[in-house]
Amino acid sequence: MEAKKIKLSSQEHKPLQINPIKHSQPMGAALAFMGIKNCLPLMHGSQGCASYTKVLYTRHYNEPIPLYNTSVSDITAVFDGGDFSILMAIENITKKNTTLKPELIGLHTTGLTETKGDDVRSVGIHVEIPYCYVNTPDFEGGMESGWALTCKALILQHTFTCKDIKPKKLVLLPNVNIQPIEIEKLKECCTNLGFETFALPDLSTSLDGYLSEGQGKLATGGIAIEEIANLGDAQIVVSIGRSMKSAAEALLQKNEAIEHLHFNHLMGLEANDNFVASLMKMAQVTPYPLLKRWRGRLQDAMLDAHFLIGSSSFVVTGEPDMCVGICELLQSVGGTVYAVIATVYSPVLEEIKAENIFVGDLEDAKSYFQNADLVISNFHAERILHMQEKHTALVLRGFPNYEELGNQLKNDQLYEGSTYFLFEVANKLRELKYHG
Amino acid sequence: MVSRAKIKELMNESACSHNKDKKKGEGCDMPKPGMAAGGCAFDGAQISLFPYADAVHLVHGPQTCLGASWETRETLSSYAGRNHTVMGFTTGITTNDVIFGGDKRLDASLAYIVEHYAPEAIFVYSTCVTAMVGDDIDMTCKLAQKAHNIPIVPVHAPGFVGGKNLGSRLAGEAVLEHLIGTKEPEFTTPYDINLIGDYNVTGDMWQYLPLFEKIGIRVLSSMSGDGRVGDIRTAHRAKLNVIVCAKSLVTLCRKMQERYDIPWISVSFYGKRDTTFAIMEIVNALGDATLIAKAKEILAEEESFLEEKLLPYKEMFAGKKAVLNTGGNKAWSIASGLQDLGIEVVATSIRKSTEDDIQKAREYLGENGILMRAPASEQAKVIDEKGAHILLAGGRSLYTAIKKKISFIDVNQEKKVSYGGYNGLLNLAEDLKYAFNNPVFANVCAPAPWEV
Repeated sequence: MEAKKIKLSSQEHKPLQINPIKHSQPMGAALAFMGIKNCLPLMHGSQGCASYTKVLYTRHYNEPIPLYNTSVSDITAVFDGGDFSILMAIENITKKNTTLKPELIGLHTTGLTETKGDDVRSVGIHVEIPYCYVNTPDFEGGMESGWALTCKALILQHTFTCKDIKPKKLVLLPNVNIQPIEIEKLKECCTNLGFETFALPDLSTSLDGYLSEGQGKLATGGIAIEEIANLGDAQIVVSIGRSMKSAAEALLQKNEAIEHLHFNHLMGLEANDNFVASLMKMAQVTPYPLLKRWRGRLQDAMLDAHFLIGSSSFVVTGEPDMCVGICELLQSVGGTVYAVIATVYSPVLEEIKAENIFVGDLEDAKSYFQNADLVISNFHAERILHMQEKHTALVLRGFPNYEELGNQLKNDQLYEGSTYFLFEVANKLRELKYHG
Repeated sequence: MVSRAKIKELMNESACSHNKDKKKGEGCDMPKPGMAAGGCAFDGAQISLFPYADAVHLVHGPQTCLGASWETRETLSSYAGRNHTVMGFTTGITTNDVIFGGDKRLDASLAYIVEHYAPEAIFVYSTCVTAMVGDDIDMTCKLAQKAHNIPIVPVHAPGFVGGKNLGSRLAGEAVLEHLIGTKEPEFTTPYDINLIGDYNVTGDMWQYLPLFEKIGIRVLSSMSGDGRVGDIRTAHRAKLNVIVCAKSLVTLCRKMQERYDIPWISVSFYGKRDTTFAIMEIVNALGDATLIAKAKEILAEEESFLEEKLLPYKEMFAGKKAVLNTGGNKAWSIASGLQDLGIEVVATSIRKSTEDDIQKAREYLGENGILMRAPASEQAKVIDEKGAHILLAGGRSLYTAIKKKISFIDVNQEKKVSYGGYNGLLNLAEDLKYAFNNPVFANVCAPAPWEV
């Protein structure tokens, strides 16, 4: 089957989505709030929005998910400007469980409450617990932007303006595709390079698959609301992923003396060399031994994997910030990226060098799968590949992945994660080509 | 459009046992802000209709509604054509549609689907946003139906009208208004039934349908497990409606009785006793002496066959006690299955159960059985007091089980095998065997070196 040419554009190329890969903004916002310590993520919409989100993350992470909703009904949709359902929800939740001590209410809207135009900002006046609101209609943007908007809202609403700089204090702003273990690894790397490191949001202690009692009631994220309040004296803010640039800019509004370092992704040798070089320069330090060791391992992995990957062609689907990293890493060892099908438009897509690149769904992707040796996609691609005659390998990345366990511990970042990723891809290709 | 009057009517279902204790006109509760945890009306409607594999299910709404819900349920289908249940179709409306209306997009989407997928029918689901902005979905569907010459059914169950159960009722309304009675079956028999409310999750129906076939009961149509739109259109010619483990579609059955004079019964296919009982109920309701005799003969045969296979399990499970914490009719249906395997069910949860369910639970568990109203706080104590060996519950209760060092089965998790019918009991037995033998529950909570 000949794949049809679709141009990269922020405009849709057909009236509907068939087998969509895109996820909504409120979902990204909910996940971001789960990265804040003792946050009560509260979705302002009908109960289904939260239920679907909960199910998606519960199955993706195999973890109980702390997520509440304001259960807007057809009546409150008409008569209520948001005050009633939001305040009632907070009261009901905290009254029902008096041991629950949320330190932040993470309120995010949905398509329904944006359509009716609730003033969620002013509701905050009546909330005694620290309150953060973010407008995330699900008829705009996607998961990536929902996460980024939340991060930006947290900074704009809760970080104090500041004039001073605390040397060697670093703020990491990871994009939504970066999994809990990856945030931990990124923090660890920065800490080892001599920085006092904060990640916003910080999923490294939330949804990281950790057995403890009383899970799923409040978020167990790794950054507290007081820490967010005091991010303004950081020396450096590091945004990872194009979607996070505006959140970093929000922090600069709080203190223009902060240095902003931006990286589109942290996969592969070149990106990580830039990252490490910048931090070394800022901190005036030499790298720690294990970092050097992992760089050597990545070099070796690139050579080991280049034969299999260099003779193969790939289709990548998912959020733009994820796609760009995967493409550049594969291309750095000679892989041919035949097509990239992104969930939403992002300027970073313009930077990807692939034969075909556009915003679409798995119906569009299907015809490209025929010409690929390996597809990198969420679990929905599995059935489609299964039904096609040509054997095509699959590496599962992106939301959701209901087929595999341990998604929270998949590490693709830095020298270390890139090494693992290359081996995973190469091993799948070997299976396909020599045992297929 | 869905009217308040319709919702009120559906919330006040006279045939629903939830309604017995309520004041006149009170009906089901509206969701309370912050307290509603389950899916919305749209979710319920989708669950009830999605198994029609020959139809396309188009969700007219923004991204959340379909984006996270397609390809999530193991509702198997034997449909030989393109299986649309494992696909997701959404108009994925944008800001523009919210402002200018989404009817044009909907119309173009319908045309696209007909051209590229040629389904037998299209269900169009309204959602909160498209209901709120007032898209004229009824008219768009009506005109498209005329243009494309296939049934295009609007389903008005936007999430904000209520919970899953109401959505399921609204789906029943849509089917009743637009499909049932629009086509005549090729032939009928005196043994034609409609199966209502079994969605064939993990192939549940396929566990008992072979028995139907042997006995001579014919399933004319299904709502909607392994169903076909063409068949449900002929449902008005059935002799009996059989509701399987679902309270929500009572309304549909009551209305079909009023409109087409089809009686209905409610059954469950969990466990040996319930399966036998269900089939006997069906043949008795059909009221044909030869059919009843045949059923008795075949069921006896199947039961003895099953009994033989169950023997080693019964030996293995002798003296084992279980605590069950799950919702609705599972409170007694799974209990019944466990008892068939020789396990003593010492307690079950009746949170969220109807009066009928509570009665049945009492019946199955006997006088000494504990019916837990607040299982989350009660179950740990009950496990200690009764010396239970296994806890069957949702994932959140896992911690209770490992703390008590007893086995655990997550009954709410999406399961991959069916527990329905006679053979499903063997699947349940297998899972129990592995759970009882697995040392993980005792091992995982060994104290850490720094705690000793």
